[in-house]
Amino acid sequence: MDDLALERYFDDSIANDPSYMVEEELDLQSSLKQSHESRTNSRNSSNLLGETETSGRLGNDLDLSFLPDDLGNQSSSSTVPATAATHQNAELDVLEDRGINLDNLHGMAVVKRQVTVNLGSERNASPFCPMTPMTPMTPMTPVTEKSGIIPQLQNIVSTVNLGCPLDLKFIALQARNAEYNPKRFAAVIMRIREPRTTALIFSSGKMVCTGAKSEEQSRLAARKYARVVQKLGFPARFLDFKIQNMVASCDVCFPIRLEGLVLTHQQFSSYEPELFPGLIYRMVKPRIVLLIFVSGKVVLTGAKERAEIYEAFENIYPILKGFRKQ
Amino acid sequence: MFAAGLKCPGCGSSNIVDDDLYCQAQLVCVDCGSVVSEGTLADDPVGGTDVSYSRTTAVTKKPCLNLIKGLERVKEMCRILRLNSEIEDLALTYFRQAYQQESFINVTLQRKEVLAGCCVYVSCRQRDWPITLGTISSLLDADPTLVGGVYQEMIKILNIQAPFVSITDVIEAHVQEYKISAQHVTEELAEDSKVLTKRAVALVELAGDSWIVTGRRPLPIMMAATYLAWQSLNPNKHRLKLSLDKFCHLAKVQKRKPAVMRITELKEVLCKLGRELPWVRETVTQDNVVRLVGDILEHRHTLLTRALRTHETAMQADCPQASALNSPTEEVTPSQRSESRDQTADASSALQLCPTDRTENQEGDDSHQTEDPEPNWGVRVLFAPPCVVHAKRRRVEPPPVQNVTGDEEISDSEIDSYIRTPQEARAFALMQKAVSSSGSGNS
Repeated sequence: MDDLALERYFDDSIANDPSYMVEEELDLQSSLKQSHESRTNSRNSSNLLGETETSGRLGNDLDLSFLPDDLGNQSSSSTVPATAATHQNAELDVLEDRGINLDNLHGMAVVKRQVTVNLGSERNASPFCPMTPMTPMTPMTPVTEKSGIIPQLQNIVSTVNLGCPLDLKFIALQARNAEYNPKRFAAVIMRIREPRTTALIFSSGKMVCTGAKSEEQSRLAARKYARVVQKLGFPARFLDFKIQNMVASCDVCFPIRLEGLVLTHQQFSSYEPELFPGLIYRMVKPRIVLLIFVSGKVVLTGAKERAEIYEAFENIYPILKGFRKQ
Repeated sequence: MFAAGLKCPGCGSSNIVDDDLYCQAQLVCVDCGSVVSEGTLADDPVGGTDVSYSRTTAVTKKPCLNLIKGLERVKEMCRILRLNSEIEDLALTYFRQAYQQESFINVTLQRKEVLAGCCVYVSCRQRDWPITLGTISSLLDADPTLVGGVYQEMIKILNIQAPFVSITDVIEAHVQEYKISAQHVTEELAEDSKVLTKRAVALVELAGDSWIVTGRRPLPIMMAATYLAWQSLNPNKHRLKLSLDKFCHLAKVQKRKPAVMRITELKEVLCKLGRELPWVRETVTQDNVVRLVGDILEHRHTLLTRALRTHETAMQADCPQASALNSPTEEVTPSQRSESRDQTADASSALQLCPTDRTENQEGDDSHQTEDPEPNWGVRVLFAPPCVVHAKRRRVEPPPVQNVTGDEEISDSEIDSYIRTPQEARAFALMQKAVSSSGSGNS
């Protein structure tokens, strides 16, 4: 490439778009995309790559004395345009994702133009941020903002081994809160009032505890059942307590186009309105099943840990927001 | 060979052997020699044994009869539905595959027949032929729940995916079922099938846009759309007087109960749009909206925009303070979020959903002010899914004990409250005995 042209380009970039360096460190791919959109002159990607790299190298040799002493604001404010830029990208992706026919194509075009204009303006306004290793970069907020909704746990299923064989007939006779119908089911069904739970106690000594609203409550309830069995005269212990399943629910407070969701996420969703009014979404990571309803209510199940539920909801929330407007 | 469990009547020994004399089966006691039992030649089944020689010595396995019958049933159904050969072949392949699986090989004949129907259904969906599970159920004359269950299992076992079939595709096939053309009914009640289809499609699209379709069974909605389309194409007093019951009887279609509710919901949506018609003087109610359906459908996009705008201004007039209160307290972070929302809000003005800023402000408002724990955003919006508008009142459970660690002390008294006293246990045992003895005495 022509040396003069290269120099001219460097002068240009340093004067106007110093945030190129920021982009380079954060996400080279997205910077290429953005620069493609904001710059009207056509440069091929390999050219651009070469230029950004050399400009970075040159930047290290530059005189940085004109920088303000306080770099704390700089790092945080520099993340804002980056966030905005990548957010706008996500916005575009979401817009493209909606494969449903939009009646208002004009509106779509308007949105695209506005988004690209914003990209351009924000890049010009971004302050300069050096890539010195001393500069502490504040951790960037995730690309999409948090939903602000916390799923509430509704049911916890846990199992525990009492470690000794049990005489179910005796238990059913001696305990007030037990029912036992061997013809129907081969276990004693016992209930306690606080925490309000139900337990299935088998003759092998294994027990299933359901109905608690938190992990700690489930554990407390299981211990109470074990104590009851102990008081009845069996050498019960409390071995291998494990949470097997957690169910949670929440409300996103906007209606959801299930038909659209099943079209774009076909490999994960199953929506059969003739059989069940909700859409069954099987998330791969984390391995959670979500039931999504048109009213905006979401049920999450299949988790072994609370964090899986929160993660699954944070994953699904941006997808659902995309189907908020048709 | 020792025949187990038999005792010789002569000496009582269990030493009995199978002794075939001249191809006649005999059981003989070894110790005393008496014949315990023998099969007479006259006992052989007429026409040879059930299992023929050729079958027991066959080298290759012939396809079982039920498989052949099932394949024939698949072909028959494809012929009734007038499906092309591609779909038929696909259905036959699926049936052969599914039949071998263990969850379908040893089941009732009815289940196998339902499996045949499900194979046809899946093939139709995969080849873009719009059909509902309801149609298959009526063809098989089986319970739709059973058909649904078999369908789900088959999908899981064969590991296939069926693309979603939208209601606007199915409605055209659905309207063909109605025998309402000039050759079947009188002049005043007759309607050309093409015209009827066109209007029914428009009504279904409108229903889809206003949240009536999502999550609901498609058949009652299609029935409601067809009924309203038929009524509105020629709203004379004969048609308006005819109830859904009589209409279905006339068109020789089986009426669906939920269709009545869908008609009400659809009319409500039409009323909301009808109010925006500038040339209508009188108030638009459920009774007189049918006459305006044609105009409403023709201009439905403009009417939707107008209705949304009217609703927005009405909401603004209602609570101007609420919005002022909430702008500072809005905890939603950066300006980018509202910025991008404004952009999209301006851009997609034609379509329906709730004005987002408005509802979010009001949501925040509700959670601060009222005791009602669940702000019902459905009542504040122009179009919302009916399950939100008529939300069920949930029994509010007392808040659970907070800060449970799981390792607390468990009081003895609490545990004792769950155990019977000895007297109680005795009384209970007596009562159980009494109940069981009386029960066995009666039975």
